[in-house]
Formats: sequence, C-alpha cells, structure tokens
Amino acid sequence: MHIPDGFIAPQMYLPLYGLAAGLWAYGARRVGRDLDEASLPWLASLTAASFALSFVALPLPGGTSAHVTGVGLLAVLFGPWHAFMAASMVFVIQALLFGDGGVTTLPLNALAMGFVGAISAYGVYRVTPERWRVIGVFLAGWIGLFLPALLIALALGAQPLIAHDAAGVPLYFPFGFAITLPALLIPHALLGIGEGALSVLGWRLVERLRVRYRND
Amino acid sequence: MRTHSVIARVTLLLGLAVGVVASHAHDLQYSVAAGQAVVVKLFYVDNTPFTFEGYEVYREGEKLPYQVGRTDSQGRVSFLPDRPGKWRIKAISEDGHGLDFTLTTDAAAHIEGSDKPVYERYGRIVVGIAVILGLFGFLNLYMRRKKA
Repeated sequence: MHIPDGFIAPQMYLPLYGLAAGLWAYGARRVGRDLDEASLPWLASLTAASFALSFVALPLPGGTSAHVTGVGLLAVLFGPWHAFMAASMVFVIQALLFGDGGVTTLPLNALAMGFVGAISAYGVYRVTPERWRVIGVFLAGWIGLFLPALLIALALGAQPLIAHDAAGVPLYFPFGFAITLPALLIPHALLGIGEGALSVLGWRLVERLRVRYRND
Repeated sequence: MRTHSVIARVTLLLGLAVGVVASHAHDLQYSVAAGQAVVVKLFYVDNTPFTFEGYEVYREGEKLPYQVGRTDSQGRVSFLPDRPGKWRIKAISEDGHGLDFTLTTDAAAHIEGSDKPVYERYGRIVVGIAVILGLFGFLNLYMRRKKA
C-alpha cells in the first residue's frame, strides 16, 4: 500500500506535506518528552519488526498482494504519537533508501498509515473495557490497517477529479472511487484479521517479556 | 437502348470492383519480424509477479504514451524502442500499487542503465533494520546526554 511517486497530484501532496510537517514537529516534541530509557529499546525493536513485516506481502484474490504494518501494535503498546513517529521513520527509510513508496507521496503514506492508523488503533483499544483487552488489541490491529486503506482509496480515487487535462484524461492515478474503494477495502478488510491476530500475539509476547525483565 | 444497357452493365461492374477493393481496405493484415525488445519484469517483494496490470511507456519528455497495455501472466512489460534514449515506464494497479521509473537503452535495445533501487530484498531488510536500530541508538545517546 506504499504509494509510489507519480500517483498523487501536487494539489494534494503539497498541502499534505504542510500538515504532516506540523504533526511530525509536534510528535517529535511529544516523543522527546515522554520516551524514557526503559521503553526506548522496546520501541526500537518493534519499529524494526514493523519495518521487516512490511516486506511480508500476502497474496490476495485478484492477483494483488498486501502487507501488515504493525502500526496498531505500536499504538497499543506505546501510544499514538510514538507509533506515528516510528511508522514515519520506517516510511522515510523505505522511500529514501529503497524506493518503496514515493517521496512526493510520503506525507499521504505517513498520515494515513502512520497517523490515522495509530490514532484509530489507540482509540479503539482505549474504549474497549479492561476485561476485553485481547479483543481491543485485535480490533486495534484491524482498524489500524482498514481505516488507512479507506483514506488511501479516497485519496487515489480523487486524483482523476483534481488533476486531469483539458480532455478530461487523468494526469496522475487514473482510477476513480468506484474502482479504488473495492480494490483496497475488500483485501484490507480480510488482511486486517491477520493484522489483528498478529497484534494480539505481539502484545502478549511484549507484555510477558516486560514483566519478566522487570522481575529480573 | 442497347448503348444504355452496356453503360448500365459497365457501371455495375465498376461499382462491384470498387466495393470489393473498399471492403479489403478494412481487412487487418499482419507481418512477422524478429526484433530485440526491452523486457521489464515487475514483481512484489515476495517475488509475486505484477500480473495483468496496466502500464504505459513514454519516450523521454513526451506526454503521449509510446505504448500502453497490460503486463503478461509473468508480470512482464516488453517494448521495442525506436530510438536510443530514456524511456519512462509507469505501471499502476487499481489498488494503488505500481512503479514509475526510467531506463536508458541504446539503439539495439540494450539496457544501459535504470533508476532501480540499490538494495535487493534481503539486503534491504538487513540494511533497514540496521538503520532503524542505529537511529534509536543515537536517540538513546542524545537522551543520556540531555539527562546528564
């Protein structure tokens, strides 16, 4: 779901860069204030795991493939701002070093998958009653993947409307909402189940390890 | 009266002849020639081919595509450059996956270079994890220094 360069019009990515820059600046302050030396190794390890997970692409019906992100798990364990900044770091490295996802589309990728994914996952986790924590973590993983897919489908589907030539031919991404919404939402609704299950596994593992190392 | 009959028959024959020629003008013909094509394979990081997805090939600086089509069952784009130079390949799937990159060919369709990322799959994972852990290491040093 990392959108490459050439798919998003400047009318969209330039304002998004402004919005993302503001959120990155605020997020850096929040992380600088809240992150302590005890949680830093955990955040580093899970950010690295999130990066590695993005390379595990699952083939889906229709010949496409999608991958999990781990953003929901990061949000549940560390809060939305840490998750957003960690995910943004991953997207920057992928875009600048490896060409996975574009530089012009970086703010859309970061805002959708990083910010909205983290905020929605954390919100769902927080409103779930204490005794249903496992379900809350599962739903956090699911929503943290599905909602960004919805935003990206809307952003892609809007391209033919906001950027086209005099004859109406799209200049960037050529497909409208009727195609992008089902193409992204159906696979990610299914993949979200995998992301939710993975979040529960990761959450249980980290909680167990945290207790163990605290006792040591 | 007889003269009129001859003229009518000749006109009819001419009309039929023109009709036959005109109908052949719409027949699709083909010729076969061997040529050296540029073949680009598109695939996901797990090596799943980018099959049956739309692509466009552009000559450098041109807005009208040189070629459009869909990748084959192996995820390949193949085209025959008509000149040496840079060629932009844009491949897009309906769910937002795709690539937009440039390669350079000589007159014989030999690839002279492309803007392909430096690292391959496993190298990418190792390098990416190392970079992330390194950045967090610097962050840790910064936090300790700030604390001190």
